[in-house]
Amino acid sequence: MIEFDRVTVRVDADAGAPSGIDGQRTLLHDLTLSLQEPRIAIIGANGSGKSTLLKLINGLVLPTSGTVTSAGLDTRRRGRDVRRRVGFIFTDPLSQLVMPTGREDVELSLRGRIKRPAERRTAAENVLRRFGIADLADRSIYDLSGGERQLLAIAVVAAVEPSILVADEPTTLLDLRNENRIRETLRGVADQLVFTTHNLSFALDSERCLVVDGGRVAFDGAPTDAVDFYRSLCAA
Amino acid sequence: MRGHGNLLGLYVPGRSVLHRAPLWLKVFMSLALSAVVLAARVPELTAVGLVAASLGLTLGARTPAAQLFRTVLPLLPVLGVLAVYHVIANGLLPAFVTTGNILTCVLAARTVTLTTPGQELLDGVVFVARPVRVVGGDPERFGLALSILLRSIPYLAGSLLDVRDAARARGLERSVRASVVPVVINAVAYAHRTGEALAARGLGEDDRPEDPGA
Repeated sequence: MIEFDRVTVRVDADAGAPSGIDGQRTLLHDLTLSLQEPRIAIIGANGSGKSTLLKLINGLVLPTSGTVTSAGLDTRRRGRDVRRRVGFIFTDPLSQLVMPTGREDVELSLRGRIKRPAERRTAAENVLRRFGIADLADRSIYDLSGGERQLLAIAVVAAVEPSILVADEPTTLLDLRNENRIRETLRGVADQLVFTTHNLSFALDSERCLVVDGGRVAFDGAPTDAVDFYRSLCAA
Repeated sequence: MRGHGNLLGLYVPGRSVLHRAPLWLKVFMSLALSAVVLAARVPELTAVGLVAASLGLTLGARTPAAQLFRTVLPLLPVLGVLAVYHVIANGLLPAFVTTGNILTCVLAARTVTLTTPGQELLDGVVFVARPVRVVGGDPERFGLALSILLRSIPYLAGSLLDVRDAARARGLERSVRASVVPVVINAVAYAHRTGEALAARGLGEDDRPEDPGA
């Protein structure tokens, strides 16, 4: 369960960029939402505010005003606890993986939970096996394909069993085969999945879909209606 | 983006004697060898040190000779300049001792990094860094910072090669600006992304309970 209560996000405007109040640019305007569905898609143009909205969910971005509550916790007051419950998948898995090999990265995720190195190693192997990438455990992350890296990035986040998974365009860099594999994998990782995408067929694979435009939720409803609305918005 | 972990001596999985040896023993032997050659500063011991470190890597860690050569390759220009300076300023033997000792220390350190998984190394650093708790420091965070530093080296080496190729493709291989500026920008962007990734995963954060009323 995720709640946005009158959330506004403003940042200092870059030189030359259009600015509003006191040289600031508003990324999201007065957003009030309650997200309960198991799979929620967010679509919209580049720069519309989709990623900012996602980053609010696990406290990577804090609201300038208003409150965001994820898994029952205020992201401003309980940021660390929120991040333990809300996993985040980046578009580019290389941004997410911080260790040289997959095994080490999954072990890094587990350090806070499992103190004994041998147990941690076994748990990491189990996670990699669960995602069908045990054979990649000791390969350099640079030697993996895009699909393998994204699978590993999901495994790394799933290792800590988040209740909510947030994914920022997780299939953008992938071919069709890997995209299907990632979409299938994302289904079972957490109780709730919130994702942004430019792939409208992926957006249809949800229970609810938001269309974000100019920092506002321009449409909120059934995915088929949302996709139709977005198409008409782009055509206008 | 290309990665160059092996060129820079990061962990290579294996089942050699050194892979199975405990971390403390490898660190002790590496430090002891380095300390002896640096303290003695005599050509005979420098030669022994070089042979010992090379044998440690080739026989003890079963590192192929070609790979061993590749791991020291990036060092050779610096050692070459240093050797030329010492030959001119101090003579042949001091030049051999200075450059040989540096190479011995690097090879000795690589016996540890090549044969120890990152997490085991991290556990070791966290163990050694326990005293920082006395001054309010966090050993986990200290170890994590060191791991990220090691992980960053191959990334930056890969970035350097990518940028060089891009400059060549544009016919700008002689332009220092076209080669250096993108590497610096990539490094800053990489640091920013890594910080965001760590924050998103809740890594390196304080373990003390949060005050919900704060």
